[in-house]
Amino acid sequence: MSVMSRSENARSLGLWDRDHEGHDVIGTRTFGFWLYMLTDAMVYAALFATFGVLSHVVNLAGGPSPAAVVHPVYAYGETVALFVSVLAYGGAMVALKAGNKAALIGALGAAMVAGGVFLGLAYSDIERLFHAGIVPQASGYLSIFFGLILYHALHILVGMVWMLVMIVQVMTRGFTSNVVYRLINLRLFWHFQAVIWVFVFTFVYLQGTVL
Amino acid sequence: MGRLSLRQIPYQNPILVGTFVFALILGAAIVGLVTYHKRWGVLWREWLTTVDHKKIGVMYCLIGLVMLFRGFIDALMIRTQQAIAVGPHSPGYLGALHGYLTPFHAGQIFTAHGLIMVVFAATPLLVGLMNIIVPLQIGARDMAYPYLNALGLWLTAAGAALVMVSLFIGNFAHGGWYGFVPYFELPYSPGVGVDYWLWAFQLSVLGTTLGSINLIATIVKMRAPGMTWMRMPIFTWASLSANLIALTTFPVLMVCLALLASDRYFGTHFYTAGMGGNLMLYNDLFWVWGHPEVYFLILPAFGMMSEIVPTFSEKTLFGYATMVIASFAIGGVSWGVWLHHFFTMAAAPSVNSFYSVTTMLVGIPTGVKVFNWIFTMYRGRVRFELPMMWAVLSLFLLLVGGLTGMMNAFATNDYMWHNGVFVVAHFHLMVLLIAASIFGSVEYWFPKVFGFKLEARWGKAFFWCIVLGTGWVFIPMFLLGFAGMTRRLDYIPYTQWGPYLRVMLVGMGFYILAVAFFFMHLYVSLRDRAKNRVGADAWGTSRSLEWMTHSPVPAYNFAFVPQVHARDEWAWRKEQGVADLKSGPYRDIHMPGNTGVPFVLGALALALAFALTWRIWWLSGLALALCVAVVIVRAFAEDTDTVISAQDVERAERRYHDGEVVPMEEPMGRPTPRPAT
Amino acid sequence: MSASHHDPLSHPEVQLASGRGYVANFLVTTLLMGFGLWLSVTHAVAPLTLVAVTSGIAAVAVGVQAYLLLHMNLSEAQIWHTVAMILFLPLFVVTIGLTAWMFHGLYARTMIMSPHIGAFLHR
Repeated sequence: MSVMSRSENARSLGLWDRDHEGHDVIGTRTFGFWLYMLTDAMVYAALFATFGVLSHVVNLAGGPSPAAVVHPVYAYGETVALFVSVLAYGGAMVALKAGNKAALIGALGAAMVAGGVFLGLAYSDIERLFHAGIVPQASGYLSIFFGLILYHALHILVGMVWMLVMIVQVMTRGFTSNVVYRLINLRLFWHFQAVIWVFVFTFVYLQGTVL
Repeated sequence: MGRLSLRQIPYQNPILVGTFVFALILGAAIVGLVTYHKRWGVLWREWLTTVDHKKIGVMYCLIGLVMLFRGFIDALMIRTQQAIAVGPHSPGYLGALHGYLTPFHAGQIFTAHGLIMVVFAATPLLVGLMNIIVPLQIGARDMAYPYLNALGLWLTAAGAALVMVSLFIGNFAHGGWYGFVPYFELPYSPGVGVDYWLWAFQLSVLGTTLGSINLIATIVKMRAPGMTWMRMPIFTWASLSANLIALTTFPVLMVCLALLASDRYFGTHFYTAGMGGNLMLYNDLFWVWGHPEVYFLILPAFGMMSEIVPTFSEKTLFGYATMVIASFAIGGVSWGVWLHHFFTMAAAPSVNSFYSVTTMLVGIPTGVKVFNWIFTMYRGRVRFELPMMWAVLSLFLLLVGGLTGMMNAFATNDYMWHNGVFVVAHFHLMVLLIAASIFGSVEYWFPKVFGFKLEARWGKAFFWCIVLGTGWVFIPMFLLGFAGMTRRLDYIPYTQWGPYLRVMLVGMGFYILAVAFFFMHLYVSLRDRAKNRVGADAWGTSRSLEWMTHSPVPAYNFAFVPQVHARDEWAWRKEQGVADLKSGPYRDIHMPGNTGVPFVLGALALALAFALTWRIWWLSGLALALCVAVVIVRAFAEDTDTVISAQDVERAERRYHDGEVVPMEEPMGRPTPRPAT
Repeated sequence: MSASHHDPLSHPEVQLASGRGYVANFLVTTLLMGFGLWLSVTHAVAPLTLVAVTSGIAAVAVGVQAYLLLHMNLSEAQIWHTVAMILFLPLFVVTIGLTAWMFHGLYARTMIMSPHIGAFLHR
C-alpha cells in the first residue's frame, strides 16, 4: 500500500484529530484557579475547625471572653465596605463584557478603594484591641480569633496588589487572552473573599456576642 | 545572621563528617563530569528550565531516588543501633552509652527517616510517574499548566535540599516525623531542628498541592477527543482520585504546620499546654491530612498494578468499572478515618466505634481491587517479566499489610499496641507495597521514557533481595510487636528481644545487597542500552495510549492528537490492524517555552525557609520580597510559547521511523515570532 | 497548548457577567447580614436561637453568593467549577463536624476544669 493511500485510510477511519484546535486557554486557567480557591476554602475550614475547638471556656485561659472582644457593629462596617468592593469588581466584569477599557479601570480603582476602606477599618479594630491588651498571645481563643481575621485581611491585601497589576496590564496590553483570564481569576478570588467573610462575620462576630 | 554561627556545624560527629566527605566527593564528581563533558549549557537549557512534563517527571523521580537512598541509610542506622544497644551491658561507642548513636542523634535519624520516606521519596517518585504517564495516557501534549508543574518540582526540590542541609548545618527535629506537641513547641525544642522539619514539610506541602491542581485540571480539561470518562486508563483514574485527596487534604496540613509555626515564632497558644491551647488539636489537624495522605500514596500504586497486570496477562483488565468505583470509594472513605491514629486520646466510645467501622470499610473496595487483579490473571497468559514480578509482590504485601491493618482498626486492640512496632511493621509493609509498585512501574515505563529496556539479570537479583530482606526484617518486627516493643527506641531494656533484633540485621544485609544490585542494574542497563532498544510498544502486549507514540517520547508527545475509539485504544488499534497508520502532512505544534523562573522561585523559597529556620530576618524579608517581585515580573511576560514547525515534526518523525534514537535533551522548537500588533 | 485565535471577550466566562445579578447579590447579602447584626445587638432572641438563626442566614447568603457571584450553575462553561465545589462541600462538613464531635466528647471527659483554675495555674 502506498504511503498516500494509507494516510487517506487513516483519515477516513478518523484515527487522528488533525485539526486539533488546542484547548480553551481561558477555561483551563480559570478551572485551575478555582481548584486553588477551593484549597483555600479548605484552609478556612481547618481554621474554623480550630476556632470551634478553641472556643471552649477553658481556651479563654482566664482572658477576655469573645463577647468582650468582638464588635459586631464595627464589623458590619467592614462587611459593607467589602461588599461594595465586590460589587465594584462586578462592575468591572460588566465593563469587560462590553470591552470598555476606561470603565473597567475605573471600576477596578473603585474596588481597590473600597478594599482599602475594609483594611483601614480592620486595622483600627485590631489596634483598639491591641491597645486594650487583647493580643494573640493572651489565650488560645484569641490566637485563633486573630489568626482568622488576619488571614482574611492578608487576602484582601494580596487582592489589592493584584488589582494594581491588572490595571497596569489592561492599560498596556489591552484585552489579550492572558489579561482576560487573569481578570476572571481575580474575580473568583475577590468574590470568594465575600463568601468567606459571611462566615467570619457570622461565626466570629455575631455568634461571638453570645459565646 | 540570626542564630547561625560556625559552631552550628557538627564537625565533632564522625558519622556526619563521613557523610559530608561522601557528599563532597559525590558533588565534586558530578560537577567534574558535567564540566568535563561541557554539559552545563544543556543542563540549564534542557533540564533546569524545562516545562516538559516528561523531563519534570524524570527529575521528580531522581529526587525521589536520592532521598530514598538517604532514607535507607537512616533505616540502616536505626536497625544497627537497636541490634547493638540491647540490655544494660551492651557496649557503647562514639560517645553513646549504648550502641553508637546518642539519644538525640537517634531521634533525629528516625524523624528524618519517616519524613524523608513519606514526603521526599515516595511522593516525588509517584508524582514524577504520574507526571510522565498521565498526559500520555489521555493523549495530551502537555500538562494543563506546564509552568506551574516546574514550580511544583522546584519547591519539592527546595524542601528536599533543606532536609539535606540540616545534616551539615545545625540539626534536625528529633521527636518523630509527625511531630509531638507540646514537645515541638519552642520551650521544649528551642533548637533549629523543629524549624528545619517545619519548613521542609511546608515546602513539600506547597509543591504537592500545586502539582495536584495541575494533574486534576489536566485530566478534566486536556483529554484527547473521544477519550470519554469511561475510556480513561485505570492509572489515570487512580491518579485523579489520588490527586483529589492531595488537593483536599494538603491545605489542612498547611494550617496544622502554620499554627505550630505561629506558636514557635509569635508565641500564640494554638497547641500549648495551658493558656488555652489544645495539644490534641495538632494531632487532629495533622491526621486529617495524614490518613488520606496514605491513600494519596497507595492509589497511584494500585493504578500501576492495574496497568502492569493486564499487559503481562495479555488480557483486558477485569472489572474496569468496579476498579474506578473502588478507587473513589477508597478516596472518599479515607476522609473519615483519621482518628484511628489516636484512638487513645480518650474520645467518646461512640467516636472510637465510628472510626473503627469506617477504617474497616476501607477493606471492601481494596478487596474488590485485589480480586479484580486476580481475575485478570486468571486464565491469562501470564508472563513473569520484571514489572509483573513487582506487581505480584505488591499483591502479597497488600494482603499481609492490609489484614494487619484490619487488626489495627479495632480501637480495643490499638489500646494495647498503640505506638508499638506491630503498627510500624504494618505500615512498612504498606509503604513497601507502594515501593514495589514504583519499582515495577519504573521497569514498565522506563523504555517508554528512555527508549531502552532495563536488563533483567541484576534486576531479578535486586527483586529477590528485596523479597528476602522484607521477610527477614518485618516478620521479627511483627513478633516483637506482639511482645510489646514500642517504636523509636534508642535503647532496648529487654535482652530477650535481642535475638529478634539481630535477625532483622540479616534482612538489612539483604537490603544492602538489593541497593548494590539496583546500582548494577542501572549501570549494566545503561552500558548495554544499544542491545535493549525498543520501539513504541516496548512490551508488545500493552493496551493504553502511551504505547502508541515513539520511545523515547518526542517533545510534542503526539505528532497528531489521537482520536480515541475504545477503552484500550492501543489494543483496539492493534486488533483493527490500524496500529501503524499515520496521517500526513504535519502541522506546526504550539508548545510552552522553557523558563528559568520556577527554578529561581525554588531557590528563593529555599533561601526563605533557611532564613526562617535560623531566624535571619533580613534574609527572610529579602527572599520573600524577591519571590513576590519575580511572580509579578513573570506576569508581564507574554511570549511564553514556542512553535515546533511542521518541518521539524516531519524530520523528527522520520528519524523515529528509521529507528534512530532521538535523545530527550535534543532541543526542539523556537520562540514564537512576536505578532505584529 | 495552542494559542486561541478567538476574541477573548467572547469567552463564555466573560459573557456571564451580569450587572443586575451583582446588584441583587449586594442588596440581598447586605440586608441579610444587617438583619443578623440587628438580632445580635438588640438581644432580641435567646442565645441558642441566635446561633441557629444567624447560621441559617449565613447559609442563605452564601447560597445567593454562590449563584449570583460565583456563577455556580450547570452551563457548559461552569459545570466543572460547580462539580469541584460540590465535591468539596461534604469535606468541609466532615473536617469541621467530626472535629467538633470528637472534641466535644474529649472536653466532656478530660478537661473538667473551671477557667479560674486555669488562670491560677499559669499566672
